[in-house]
Amino acid sequence: MGVLDGLSLQGKVAVVTGAGRGLGRAMALALARAGADVVCAARSQEQIEETARLVRELGPRSLALPTDVTDPHQCTNLIETTVRELGRIDILVNNAGGATPGSDKPVEEIKDEEWRLGIDTNLSSVFYCCRAAIPHMVRQGGGKIINVSSGYGLRGGRNNFIYCSAKAAIINFTRSLALTYARYNIQANCIVPGFFPHENPEVLQYLRGGQFIPMGRVGRDEEIGPACIFLASSLSDHMNGGIIVLDGGGLAGGQAPTGLAPRIPLREE
Amino acid sequence: MQELRLDGKVALVMGVENGIGRALAVALAEAGADVACCATRPSQEVAAHSCANEVWAVGRRSLAAAVRATSPQEVEALVERVVAELGRLDILVNAHDLPFALPLEETGPEQFRRVLAENLEAVYLAIRAASRPMLAQGKGRIINVVPLLAERGLANATAYCAAKAGVLNLTRALALEWARRGIAINALGCGWTEGEGLASDPEAQAALGRYLPYRRLAQPREMAGAAVYLASEAADFVTGQVIWVDGGALSHI
Repeated sequence: MGVLDGLSLQGKVAVVTGAGRGLGRAMALALARAGADVVCAARSQEQIEETARLVRELGPRSLALPTDVTDPHQCTNLIETTVRELGRIDILVNNAGGATPGSDKPVEEIKDEEWRLGIDTNLSSVFYCCRAAIPHMVRQGGGKIINVSSGYGLRGGRNNFIYCSAKAAIINFTRSLALTYARYNIQANCIVPGFFPHENPEVLQYLRGGQFIPMGRVGRDEEIGPACIFLASSLSDHMNGGIIVLDGGGLAGGQAPTGLAPRIPLREE
Repeated sequence: MQELRLDGKVALVMGVENGIGRALAVALAEAGADVACCATRPSQEVAAHSCANEVWAVGRRSLAAAVRATSPQEVEALVERVVAELGRLDILVNAHDLPFALPLEETGPEQFRRVLAENLEAVYLAIRAASRPMLAQGKGRIINVVPLLAERGLANATAYCAAKAGVLNLTRALALEWARRGIAINALGCGWTEGEGLASDPEAQAALGRYLPYRRLAQPREMAGAAVYLASEAADFVTGQVIWVDGGALSHI
């Protein structure tokens, strides 16, 4: 048996939140290509129906379950419906999130409800889904939790309080998951994407096409797929509480303008 | 804050030919320490004397030296001289710095080794020499000065970044080794500072001035407060850590 056989997710059931588009859809399809049945969750029924259709085209079973992840009851319902309909849950990808109103304000201008909505969307949602899924994973003898953070979870941003706070919290929430459930054979890890502007021309323009990223371009959604499959597969069974960064080299530098490459010869003895 | 005073202590600062080394030497003196000022190249003796004069001018005792910092014998003789002339050794500041940046394919093995030797191995040699009096008295402070490039990369700076990261993790490893022997060892993380390290390149300095959160580079003097803190009894429980004085640069994405 070759090492790559360990990547197969045949017979596994995955739940992906925020699966209607962008990175969430890309991860849903990647998991399906590796053989997993995929439950697609997001608010927009139309978008997750389309993702589910694409999953089924690849072979595996799929459900589209409209879910508002800021609502703990809907998160529980998502997981319970998954287990009822598909028999189990092996992989939970907490991907739902993003900038919410007030995410671009200086701190003194952020309203209570803006703060709460941003934290609920990006952080509480992870807690709600984990709380619902972990008892099933414990009962089944294991599972994989993949939380999607952000480069902004490792660094700050000007006027970027809500999103940066929530995404950083996800990383440390994941570490505590790792420590708590290691003995139940549940691995929890983070994917940290850099800039993946989902064909959003406005963001792409703000990023000037990615010229400030060391690789000179933004990420393509499908590039997150292999990392997701790896973290969902048995090949990552000894990886727990870790992060995989996909950012074109951004976080390796960030201390000087991209492209700065000084030439300083050695001085004489 | 009486705990921040360094009265009665003796410090040795390596690398006083650099702006940061010199600023730290003078600051430790202002906080009350006697300070031995050592340049890391024999040709920089004048800079060492000039630094020592500044220490005398603030009313503390000093000595000036210029040694080959990569020579174990010269560094050990230096420490013996400090103890002989100033009576003891409590604080070692390693501000060694050999700037170097070239594309990897233009960086020859000799250059790579020299960058590692002057930026990393020389720090080890200074620590090893200073550890004799410090371990004997069961007390000591070591402060390793590192740039942002100990933590992050920069194109053309592979050898330099590797050496500086080596100093940073050496700090953590040795802190654990000596945690119960009275010697605390920490790093002072310096942001981009005018004329220092790879900011000695004028083009790089100009680009950084537009890029950094403060829209300017630091002055060497701005590193002094953290160094005095780390050298003082106020930091008695601090070891194996790095304090970044970087104008917010590391918070940046």
